[in-house]
Amino acid sequence: MNTWKNKSLLVALILALTFSMLAACSGANNEKPAPSSTNQGSGNGGNGGNSGGGDGGSEGLTGEFEVQYFVGGYGDTWWKHVIGEFQKQNPNLKIKQTAGSQINDQMRPRWIQGNPPDFVYIDGAGSNEAQMVTDAQLMDLTEFLKGATNGDGEKLLDIAIAQPTDYNGKNFTMPLVFGSWGTFYDKAWFKQQGWETPTDFESFMAVSQKIKASGVSPYIHTGVYPYYINGGLVNSAIVSANGGDASIISRMASLEEGIFKSEPVMKALDRIVQIRDAGLIDPGAIALNHTDSQMSFLQHKAAFIPNGLWLENEMSKDVPDGFEFDFIPSVMQDKGEKFVAIPYTASVAIAEKAKNPEAAKAFLQFIFTKQFAVDWAEMTGAIMNVKADLENSTAGPVVKTAMNYFNSDNLVVAPALIVNADVETALQDSIIALLDKRITPAEWGERLEKAAAAARQ
Amino acid sequence: MTAKPTSHRLRRSLFILGFILPTFILFSVITAYPMLRGLYISFFKWSGYSGNMSFIGLDNYKRMLKDDIIGTAIFNDYFLVFWKVVLILAIATFLAVALTRMSVKRTGLFRVILFFPNLISVVVIGVLWRYIYNPSDIGFLNAFLSLFTSEPVTTVWLGQTNTAMWSILAPAVWAGIGFYMILLMAAIMNIPESLYEAAGIDGASRWHQFKHITIPLIWEQMKVSIIHIVITTLNGSFIIIFLMTEGGPDNSTQVMGSYLYQIGFQQYHMGYASAIGVLILTLTLITSLILNRLLKRETIEM
Repeated sequence: MNTWKNKSLLVALILALTFSMLAACSGANNEKPAPSSTNQGSGNGGNGGNSGGGDGGSEGLTGEFEVQYFVGGYGDTWWKHVIGEFQKQNPNLKIKQTAGSQINDQMRPRWIQGNPPDFVYIDGAGSNEAQMVTDAQLMDLTEFLKGATNGDGEKLLDIAIAQPTDYNGKNFTMPLVFGSWGTFYDKAWFKQQGWETPTDFESFMAVSQKIKASGVSPYIHTGVYPYYINGGLVNSAIVSANGGDASIISRMASLEEGIFKSEPVMKALDRIVQIRDAGLIDPGAIALNHTDSQMSFLQHKAAFIPNGLWLENEMSKDVPDGFEFDFIPSVMQDKGEKFVAIPYTASVAIAEKAKNPEAAKAFLQFIFTKQFAVDWAEMTGAIMNVKADLENSTAGPVVKTAMNYFNSDNLVVAPALIVNADVETALQDSIIALLDKRITPAEWGERLEKAAAAARQ
Repeated sequence: MTAKPTSHRLRRSLFILGFILPTFILFSVITAYPMLRGLYISFFKWSGYSGNMSFIGLDNYKRMLKDDIIGTAIFNDYFLVFWKVVLILAIATFLAVALTRMSVKRTGLFRVILFFPNLISVVVIGVLWRYIYNPSDIGFLNAFLSLFTSEPVTTVWLGQTNTAMWSILAPAVWAGIGFYMILLMAAIMNIPESLYEAAGIDGASRWHQFKHITIPLIWEQMKVSIIHIVITTLNGSFIIIFLMTEGGPDNSTQVMGSYLYQIGFQQYHMGYASAIGVLILTLTLITSLILNRLLKRETIEM
């Protein structure tokens, strides 16, 4: 009797364990949050033409020149292409390519020992631009960038979409990849349901209420990685609340005292609180990683999602039929105000201890041309930080839509918010605490001011 | 034959040295050096990426005292330690006894099934359980609970302070049972059947047999299990935390290991991270020493 009871209990337990195991097997893929694109190299014909760097002498540069670049979602086709062209122009220069997906970790000992490469593309896990600047690893490029021109005689800063990050009045890097955060939705589904595309905060709230009434979560985000909602919603709200003046982002990045408690920031957070209190944010979002939230979005469990321009490429294998991605740079501005683009960038820089800084500078000028920007868009599916005409290129529709926004007068391009890693952590933790009603906007400000004060020391 | 006693002794020492030296060198290079190096770094302010390290004495340790997240992390670590020890041991002992003493059929099959979670990579376990806890109707747990309620259940298991740590505990226990079950089964099978027969003739119930024969005779293995669970939890919870919540929301599920990683590799304070490493080492040592004391029982010889 006793044994039998124990046995059935045991069987029930085992059943529960196996069942839970099987049930869980329905998991989908788990991709890294890195911006990824698979649109690799489609013949890069006819671009040889312009030979950059007008530094006379048919012999070109000499000596050794080492380039470190991370190979991730954007691949290495473009890098091999531009380095090949640079080599043709400087046949006597011995170019060494140090590249790979783990390159940041592999090269770290050399950076620590003071034997870095000459030129570096800062991207991927284990790399952090602000930290490299703090550690005095990068060369001050402020003066150089002011006068730098490419082979077509254009000034680099004139043709750049995003300006170099400002570190207390100095520049150490030049953004190479340009992308924008924004709000994504399914255009076809919206049309079918009769929901209007929001153009400002008022219409965003109105259509979200309508969506909620129909039983769909209006807004989902990636709570485990809060930088998605910071980039796609909060930061653009701050710029809009500052009357569309994007300089507030630079003031935040330079950790100006009191900036996180300033009136525009509080006003922006107040709007976030309005969205929160209206119950427009999916209650489960706080526990979702990017795969979860993006799958929910694709399955029409939520209408809007904050994300970066890589989203369409990243999810390309899982997009249901008839799904039509569309992109709005920002939804937090007042009626009639300009859109705000909050960019994310990946930069290139020259090592402070570069052995051949001349070659590094020449290479930097060499790669920032419109032709190479078109090549970049075609080879990577992403946007290079150069105002180029992509209409006739093979870049994807979302990228083209985005480029149209960037070229329009009705949009402000903010600088990328690159802050000290501790303050970045505080930004991410605090927005989740705010969305979870654990803290008020004022307490958000307190936390950030505290983190900024500690980082200023 | 002709060898002198001295050369014999020399050869003997060489022989012994031949075993000790490689081990000692490996130990020094792989264990001792990194540990001492970590201790050394913990006295510096160093980003982990720069060539400059500045000596700051005990500042990293002072900072630890003021850091609220350290408190949360220690609490969460011991929460996991306590409940993992209690639940894993209770369930593993129960299953081990059930599969050895209760004449269940197909014990081999059950053994394989129950051991199975141990063979799955922790990464897979994390992903599987994230799907179980998914707050929307993809999530197994909420979908299952919704069968019994009129309104669909939408609990955000990993997103609320009061459920997050319990939700992380479940897969940790689930994945741990198998190994300790096998360990205890082996111990139980070593107990001579005659002891149980004699006890049965004397009228001892199953419960009394368990309490007075099984437990005392497998106590050594239980002790090893407890200490092993404690040490692996304090050192290794990092992985499951990172897979399930990354320490969030708002650091509420941070453990010392995950916080060390975040501080060192995401916030670039390698010195402070090393100090946290020293804290983990110290706490693990103290805990296992105390446990060794507490669990001391007279070893019963068969």
